[in-house]
Amino acid sequence: MTGSPRTPRPGTRRAGVLRPVAGVVAGLAMVGAALTACGGDSNESGTKEFLIGFQGPLSGENQQLGINAYNGVLTAIDLANRTGGLPFTLRIVASDDQGVPEQGPTAAQKLIDNPDVVAVVGPVFSAPTKASEPLYSQTGLLSVSPSATNPKLTDLGFTSFYRVIAPDTVQGAGAAEYLAKVVKAKRVYSLDDRSEYGTGLSGAVELGLKQAGVAYAHDGINPTKDYTSQATKIMADGADAVYYSGYYSDFALLTKALRSKGYDGAILSGDGSNDDQYIRQAGAANAEGTLITCPCSDANTDPAAAGFVSEYKKVNSGLKPGTYSGEAYDATNAIVSVLRKLGTGASRESVLADFGSVDFPGVTKRIRFERNGDVRGSTVYVYEVKDGQRVVLGPVSSLVKP
Amino acid sequence: MGSAEQISQLTIDGLMVGALYAVIALGYTLVYGVLQLINFAHSEVFMLGAFGGLFASRALVPAGATPSGLTSAGLVLFGLVAGALAGAAAAYALERCAYRPLRRRGAPRLAYLISAIGASLFAFNLAGKEFGRQSVPVPDLFTNGTVVTVFGAEISTQSLVIAGTALAMLLAVDHLVAGTRLGQSVRAVAQDAECAGLMGVDVQKVIVVTFVLGGLLAGAGGFLYAMTFNASYTMGFVPGIKAFTAAVLGGIGNVRGAVLGGLLLGLVESFGGYLFDASYKNVIAFTMLVLVLLVRPSGLLGTRLGRPA
Repeated sequence: MTGSPRTPRPGTRRAGVLRPVAGVVAGLAMVGAALTACGGDSNESGTKEFLIGFQGPLSGENQQLGINAYNGVLTAIDLANRTGGLPFTLRIVASDDQGVPEQGPTAAQKLIDNPDVVAVVGPVFSAPTKASEPLYSQTGLLSVSPSATNPKLTDLGFTSFYRVIAPDTVQGAGAAEYLAKVVKAKRVYSLDDRSEYGTGLSGAVELGLKQAGVAYAHDGINPTKDYTSQATKIMADGADAVYYSGYYSDFALLTKALRSKGYDGAILSGDGSNDDQYIRQAGAANAEGTLITCPCSDANTDPAAAGFVSEYKKVNSGLKPGTYSGEAYDATNAIVSVLRKLGTGASRESVLADFGSVDFPGVTKRIRFERNGDVRGSTVYVYEVKDGQRVVLGPVSSLVKP
Repeated sequence: MGSAEQISQLTIDGLMVGALYAVIALGYTLVYGVLQLINFAHSEVFMLGAFGGLFASRALVPAGATPSGLTSAGLVLFGLVAGALAGAAAAYALERCAYRPLRRRGAPRLAYLISAIGASLFAFNLAGKEFGRQSVPVPDLFTNGTVVTVFGAEISTQSLVIAGTALAMLLAVDHLVAGTRLGQSVRAVAQDAECAGLMGVDVQKVIVVTFVLGGLLAGAGGFLYAMTFNASYTMGFVPGIKAFTAAVLGGIGNVRGAVLGGLLLGLVESFGGYLFDASYKNVIAFTMLVLVLLVRPSGLLGTRLGRPA
């Protein structure tokens, strides 16, 4: 949706038979104008307006994770406009990549082509990030992912890519430590969904298991509905824990298949499964007792994030923050902090140039970056499904203490 | 390959999925038998039926509750009936809107194919819009922990119920087609529609009945499928293709062939997924189809049943 349809001026409609036609055309044009996310340089009241892009899955199987992030961005922007005392106003423009790599470049191009977009929050998933970042880097448009955790993403030479979440090397090491010391697994079945995200995470988990001296089996399975024969394979393997590296819709079906065969080992997954949709889709009884690792804390139970939670609820009509909501909020605030410094003269170039030196306390962690774009110092948390709810058990470092 | 336990486990899993394929395959085979037409929108009938059953059972089960015993059985039955009715309604609408106008005009075969694909895309996108684009679970009707052991294979109550219901439906349809007056007229139209019409069979009615019967089965099958694999607007495609494969494998137009093809396909997938890699399931299934068709082009039990209606 590019280009800006002009709304016909009132009073120019012709009378007579043409009138209904003109009315319809005018109506369509107005709808078009409303749908088109291209604003001018300034809004009605004449103040400068900057657009912040959002790229992530707003439709598709795993859309909930994208929606969580989008709502986080929305909260930050709303708050900044209301109370930030900024010399400009901010607006969000969303681009849906459905969480799949094929849609990534198109979604990115849409934001790049919009000259008022000064920075982007996203992409949300790793595979679309890998596909989109070359475009962002070429045009020098800053993109800050709240959640793309594939370790390789910061080694590929992208010049405008930052992320406020730890790479899966950190999560994998934490998960492996937890499996070895708390679950006390003798043998782990590491299964990934063969995606950019899944293989990165399973590789990191396996590396950690190797270092901890825990035996493991590796297997990959493309997302499928039918995990029954995979479950039989896992049972036959005799592993006392399963770690799935993939997204919640598949983890739910895998859990279902394992439980229906009476599997009694530990069942774990990573941040891609960290959503209530997982419990819903697996069924509360099946999900009970399963574990999820995430380099993200739960804002809802973190007293330091109480202000964020109440703002989030206010902006998003009562919804609670989900996985990546807090990260997206922090990513947006990091961008806003740079814009605040640059004032109304900010441009894509200056925002990108200044972003590396961001340093402020976010709700999920202190936001400071390494030279390669990774956020500094991160904690891995473990969640457990208890009574049909995801409950934070705590950071791995505190759980492994005797 | 593992122990005898795993062999029996894989056999039972294969038969369960296979029975579901067979239930859907009957819809393809019945319509093909009567009209010499592959109803490519059948997979969406399956999907819509699943949503029908899902919403019905949701309406009765409060969120988070797991009913037990007779209540569960009653709910399954209720979901099945609702699913079957939704499937039948979808199939009837399909026949009425996508096929009948073409048949009235004596349209060429290709027009039916295009019409089917159009109807299928319509239903698919409408469902995505109306029911959301995430997977939706059927309420838990059984605690998954209760497990029955058969020859060392662990089977949940849910799997037993699904396989049992599917087999009962297959037997009922086989009886209906082979042993009732209605079945007789269906077979008569399949053999020679013109002649059957001259002999006093209401051909139009038989065609509608065939579609509705296929829709009933697909709808109930959709609900059963969603109990294990969750429902989503994309759920029709893969099982639909598999069921079509099963119908062709068994000999399209042949009711028992469809059942045989479905069960066989389920078994091949189950063992194939275990022996090689679960991601190769579809590859294995379709390789088998090609191999069988090379040797027996009319399918395992297939004979050409009739001429175009």
